[in-house]
Amino acid sequence: MNWLRLISLASLLLLLVPVAVLLYYGLGPLRSPAGYSNAVLRSIELSLASSACAAIVDVVLFTPLAYYLARGRDRITETLVDIPVSIPHPIVGVALVILDSPRTPTGEFLTSIGINFYNTILGLVFALVIISAPIYVKAMQPYFESKDTSPEDFATGMGASRLRTMLSVVVPNSVPGIESASFIAMSRALSEFGSISIIAYYVLQYPFYGVSPASVTIYALFSGAVPGGLDAAVTASAVMILVSLPIALAGHVFRRRQ
Amino acid sequence: MIDAEVTKKLGQFSLSATLSDGGFICLSGNNGSGKSSLMRAVAGFFPLDEGHVRINAKDVTATPREARGVVMVTPGSLIPHLGVDAHLTWGSRLKKQKIPSERLSAVRAELGINFEGRVSELSLGMRERVSLATALLSNPKVILVDEAFSNLHERRAFIASYRKLTHDAGIDVVFSTQDQSDGSLAEHVYTIAEGKTQRVS
Repeated sequence: MNWLRLISLASLLLLLVPVAVLLYYGLGPLRSPAGYSNAVLRSIELSLASSACAAIVDVVLFTPLAYYLARGRDRITETLVDIPVSIPHPIVGVALVILDSPRTPTGEFLTSIGINFYNTILGLVFALVIISAPIYVKAMQPYFESKDTSPEDFATGMGASRLRTMLSVVVPNSVPGIESASFIAMSRALSEFGSISIIAYYVLQYPFYGVSPASVTIYALFSGAVPGGLDAAVTASAVMILVSLPIALAGHVFRRRQ
Repeated sequence: MIDAEVTKKLGQFSLSATLSDGGFICLSGNNGSGKSSLMRAVAGFFPLDEGHVRINAKDVTATPREARGVVMVTPGSLIPHLGVDAHLTWGSRLKKQKIPSERLSAVRAELGINFEGRVSELSLGMRERVSLATALLSNPKVILVDEAFSNLHERRAFIASYRKLTHDAGIDVVFSTQDQSDGSLAEHVYTIAEGKTQRVS
């Protein structure tokens, strides 16, 4: 009898309880058409689009940071990266509201150059970047650390700067790692609720005018803020799980492929 | 011309070595004798505790690695995603220089690079040829060959060709080996043991 395996599987089962419950009741006994109404599908679209944007921003802006951390011994920066993970996410939403508020100098400045976060796609993506980028960096850093540095040393010897080495030697040879980490970051962004329920409860912009992110929609159905009730919330959750599971799995499939 | 006098404590190991010569130099020593550490010191991988490194009479002790003109070639010195031609010209493209096609084909012929393809898919010996040719064509002042003459077919003939090509280009070469008889391939021979060098010829 492999007790370790048994205990591991039992604890995993505990983790999967919410997913199993939602899939069973949402698609079975409690299924409600309000859970896959046009409004719900639109909000899932918004979540997918904004999370994909956030993942792309993560790749472009945070790959250098992950590489820098992997090659340097900069413990202070490494600790700073963890901060957004360790504060309650609604606070991130509040911070963005204040940053952008007409009552603050920063808000006045941002408005004067046409930047607006509150109930905009930009604000939604910004919040998703802040909460998903640390996950991206934490996935990429060990990937870079595990890579042999001989190609980089060779390029440096021939006269390439650190940035040039990263762009033309490291990144082209790290595509599987970047794919995996960006899917992990995207699935983290899809699951976000706290910060976006504050900065972008709904979006007031084309092409998602009046649409809420999926997690917010589910909460609104549950709380009765929009008609639907518990059954609709459970069904919408099941649909959301069906959509986001392949993205989470893609992250792991790419990781295995390396 | 390399003029290095380096002292460095690396964990339990202390390197205290002198190397002062130009041309094609053999550095022979056993495993753990400090061959790689000495080369890494010359290439600028770590700051020295004491001493200096001069390349062609210019002091580079405090110069960052990418500005020394010193390329170190190890068995892993490859940019895996590139094709053979793109790999060979990588260093010169970095400096926005173009290698004349006659020069490229001459080096290819001399070093037996008569194959194409992604370098990550080549055999070990083919990779070594490509790495060494890439280092040569990037036109540095010094090439440090750390155990990268190991998987070659007709090894001694290859080393002789490499010596001629680097001599013609005015590049100094230090190559490490565990085989003392390799000394006959070089202009100068150093042995190293427990981090200390000795000039043999």
